[in-house]
Amino acid sequence: MIEDAAHSSTGKITGLMARFGMIRGSRRLHPPYSAPIIAALYPPPLSDFFPAMLFQLDSLKIEALAALESLSDEAALEAFRIDYLGKKGKLTAVSAGMRDVPVDLKKEVGAKLNDVRDAITGGLASRLEALQAAKDAAAVAGIDITLPGRPGQGAGSLHPLTQIRDLAVRTLRRMGFTLADGPEIETEWHCFDALNTPADHPARNESDTFYMPDGKLLRTHTSTVQIRTMESAKALPVRIIAPGAAYRRDEIDATHLSVFNQIEALYVDVDVSLADLKGTLEFFFREVFGPNTVVRFRPHFFPFTEPSFEIDVKLEAKGKEARWIEIAGCGMVDPAVFAEISKKRGDSLFDPDKVTGFAFGMGLDRLAMIMHGISDIRHLIENDVRFLQQF
Amino acid sequence: MQVSLNWLQTHIDLGGYSTPQISDILTFAGIEVEGIEEKGLSTDKVVVAQIQSFEQHPNADKLSVCQVDDGSGSLRQIVCGAKNFKAGDKVPLALPGASLPGGFEIKEGKLRGIDSNGMMCSGKELGIGVDTGGLWILDSALPTGKPLNQIVESDTLFDLEITPNRSDLLSHLGLARELAALTGLPLKGPRDHAKASSTTKIETSNLKLEAQDGCPFYTARVIKGVKVGPSPAWLKARLESIGLRPINNIVDITNYVMMEMGQSLHAFDLDKLSGGIVVRRAVEGEKILALDGIEHGLLTEDLVIADSKRALAIAGVMGGEETGVIEGTTNILLESAYFSPSGVRRTSRRLNLHSDSSYRFERGIDSQQVQGGSDLAVKLILEIAGGSAENELSIAGEAPILVGTVDLDEVRTHRLLGIPTLSANDAHGILQKLGLIKQSATPEKSLWTIPSYRLDLQRSVDLVEEVARVIGLDRVPSKFTATFASGDATDRQYDHAMQLRQALANRGFNEAQTLRLISTPQIDDALGNPLGAAGAAALKNPLSEDHTTLRPSLIPGLIASAALNIRQGASRLRLFEVGRIFLKLPNGMVREEERLAILLSGPVSPSSWHGRVTTAADVFDLRGVVESLPGVTALETKVLKDNDTFLLHSEFKIGNRVLGWIAQLHPARARRIDARQPVYVVELLLSALRQGSTGPAKFTDLPRFPGMTRDVAFELPADVADAKVSAFFTSVKEPLLMKSELFDIFADPSGAKLPADRKSTAWTLTYRASERTLETAEVEAAHARILSALQKALPVTVR
Repeated sequence: MIEDAAHSSTGKITGLMARFGMIRGSRRLHPPYSAPIIAALYPPPLSDFFPAMLFQLDSLKIEALAALESLSDEAALEAFRIDYLGKKGKLTAVSAGMRDVPVDLKKEVGAKLNDVRDAITGGLASRLEALQAAKDAAAVAGIDITLPGRPGQGAGSLHPLTQIRDLAVRTLRRMGFTLADGPEIETEWHCFDALNTPADHPARNESDTFYMPDGKLLRTHTSTVQIRTMESAKALPVRIIAPGAAYRRDEIDATHLSVFNQIEALYVDVDVSLADLKGTLEFFFREVFGPNTVVRFRPHFFPFTEPSFEIDVKLEAKGKEARWIEIAGCGMVDPAVFAEISKKRGDSLFDPDKVTGFAFGMGLDRLAMIMHGISDIRHLIENDVRFLQQF
Repeated sequence: MQVSLNWLQTHIDLGGYSTPQISDILTFAGIEVEGIEEKGLSTDKVVVAQIQSFEQHPNADKLSVCQVDDGSGSLRQIVCGAKNFKAGDKVPLALPGASLPGGFEIKEGKLRGIDSNGMMCSGKELGIGVDTGGLWILDSALPTGKPLNQIVESDTLFDLEITPNRSDLLSHLGLARELAALTGLPLKGPRDHAKASSTTKIETSNLKLEAQDGCPFYTARVIKGVKVGPSPAWLKARLESIGLRPINNIVDITNYVMMEMGQSLHAFDLDKLSGGIVVRRAVEGEKILALDGIEHGLLTEDLVIADSKRALAIAGVMGGEETGVIEGTTNILLESAYFSPSGVRRTSRRLNLHSDSSYRFERGIDSQQVQGGSDLAVKLILEIAGGSAENELSIAGEAPILVGTVDLDEVRTHRLLGIPTLSANDAHGILQKLGLIKQSATPEKSLWTIPSYRLDLQRSVDLVEEVARVIGLDRVPSKFTATFASGDATDRQYDHAMQLRQALANRGFNEAQTLRLISTPQIDDALGNPLGAAGAAALKNPLSEDHTTLRPSLIPGLIASAALNIRQGASRLRLFEVGRIFLKLPNGMVREEERLAILLSGPVSPSSWHGRVTTAADVFDLRGVVESLPGVTALETKVLKDNDTFLLHSEFKIGNRVLGWIAQLHPARARRIDARQPVYVVELLLSALRQGSTGPAKFTDLPRFPGMTRDVAFELPADVADAKVSAFFTSVKEPLLMKSELFDIFADPSGAKLPADRKSTAWTLTYRASERTLETAEVEAAHARILSALQKALPVTVR
């Protein structure tokens, strides 16, 4: 309400000033030539012809400026304007006498007239400005700027998993990876066979993996997108990332979800080496965790990469001992994977004797938990607004 | 796997390495150290003490007050809760100031009013050995007052995660072998037990293999006249140190041999067998009572060890209860065999019966030391349990050859590892340390004989992996190179989805991520019919009845999230989700589709000091959000029928594309989740939204001449949709009409100011010509034409 009143009064006064060309910058107020002319008029070296008119002008000026002093609202100032400067105003009335002034004195008397008009207009303008300034100050008087702002529609938020995924995606895109996608309901071939997983591997069991009635399954990792991508690739290099959901038949508890989020990367070309893998991941984790991040590669075993490594990131927290946190798995694509792809494609783009590649994957849920210090993974799926609004 | 450092040290002297160093060596060779436990006492304030006398505690039935000789010359009074002692027993006594495992410090104090100046301990309390149900009664020969840490051997236990490809590391000898390769230290004894045995082998009709694919090689040795009893202290200590419970000397020896060199053995009570041994498939309906005390039903794919009458053991998994070696057994038959991994895995999984034995057979044991394992066990049995072994080892089948020779491709090694400074000598040195034998070498490749225990080394790339593993990634340079990458549809889809998410977050919505697996009642409850579970894809093997089906819509999840938040006291809900849904198509296939759903309920804005907001959001707030989304233009609405599930149920279209649907949750259903204000939901197809936002926007020139507006108000029947009037203004052929805007609707259900079946609407029409300023008369004429056309087209009365 305070602001509204201030706005409307500001509008009125500004309008009034504009009408008389009193707004700062308006041409009529400049230049301030009245003072030297006043000096030239006293004592008046004039002939006797129109002393009355000159006297009238002088007294009008004194009267008008004195009257202005006592005026303190817009209405009175407007009345004053009409009284002196209006069509039937006092100054207008006096200036009508100009017609009778002899030609040789017109310049002198005209100057006097201008001087008086300028004095009155100037006086009115400064009164209006003073009044406006007082209103402007009153408009903000008493506002406690320490009060909180208006909430508008309230604070929205992106899910922490979205934020972490986007951070990973943005970083990897800067490194020349593009996005790839694939279905979540997959064939056993894409999820296991093509990824060199033995036929009797425990991961294939119905106790570990969700199956559909038609024999398809819910992918147990986003590595299936590697296979999908290579199946349809037109040329080398293949350089993709695939964020997405994966499923494992786990009971939901503080550290497990049956549906979780991963991001997968694959780079295949004729000369990709462990050095590329190492450089890429070191760069990635420094971008994500900060420039001083230390990572280590521990040899590990995955059916679809050889050699394989697990990656630990050293997390340092003030006042605590630094910890190595297992964060991702990676390795050089196993030639058996290329062989299986080549068999499926029926061509030699992915000839295992010619191409090499690396792949890595990491759990985004885990990454989000580490970065935000979330202790229970179930927070990520409960969507409690008090949780969501923290990110 | 639990590994004892002391046990390892019987094979290799690791004295020069600290525990963290050993841990690092293992870790960087791909053997994950999941835990390290220091066993034994670091404090010297636990001493051998003798209980001189004890009496009942006056104030507590379960406590005794003991007078104990701690070797200091004067007796010490200790209040004790255990019952398993008598006067004269020697026990461990923790003196005040002693710190026990778990950071528990002993202090002088009173127990139920009686002074107690220390604590007599069990093995468990000291972190040594296993619990025996009371105080640890020590050997009476031990001198009173001697610190226990000078008597009891301390040990370091590593809990290791052995990757499934490295079955050769599932024994202390195997690990010692690996550590020797990694450190360059020598082994104290032979690398394996694969050397030819001096025992004579015979094939006999008493031993038959009927399923060679499941068991290609079986051996049996008879030992007679053994004395079954407790194992000697050293053997018990070995087993206890890695968490195995000692049973009797024969069983303990078989377990010891397994943990020592990886060969799993089984001893049968020979006198309980009828006739010879047959290794065969189980017969239909066959059952066996195993050592776990459970009777297991077997299938014809399961392999059993049987005599002429019945199954004696589930091959490679577990022995039978009836023929096990117990106190009183005098004659035994010792089995040592090779069982195929897949068969053991299948049976053990199906029966959910897992043992140290099945764990090793599933991963593959060294087929060449089946006989070596038997020999080692026989030697120990004769030493410890006495008796005499038959001279011959009965065998059936042949130990399979599982590894051979493999090429190391030198060029590929270089290409894959990317280490410019790696020489052939470096690589060959590593392979030799690992026990591989070089047969030949050229600059391009070398040929290697693989040791029988390294089942994982079958291909050239496996050898490259070994080199990389042992060298580690430290010597690999970090290469920072990227190639240009052209984005495709997936990239655009990702960007579009992020743009939508950001737009909604900016409008105060919180992004949810709800479960993809939900239940059919939840789906039906949230969507009703015909949108419900009929079109959803159910899993074959759900884990629980709450998660049986892939979600066919994001709405059930959002409603569940709303319910959760309402339970937590929230009343203002603005949730959205962007994610995948799964639709079962009539042909049985399942379509995966990305959607956006929004749920809105409660006050339009949060309350604050500016005022308490009580105005509840309505369907137009939600529709307004949809209209503001990137890609949404000219939304068409097709009103659907209200039902038990939804009110205001309508479909959104843009041209011919179905964009999605909007609805108010039926109030009866909203009340069920305790929502105090109406709940609105909308679900949109991302693909349809994307189509609306293709390509860069085209610029329309700004008007250079002023327009003129005319307001018009008219009455019309209440059931004429606004969209009809709007469509009239959009399609009417009047070149000067530029824009029409509805600015007021009035209706009076009471019928007082306007008949109840009528409404009054007011519109502002804007007229403009692109090339000149319009004359008033032209505008008046155009406006009159419009009004006349309007009255012809629609049942309106202009006011």
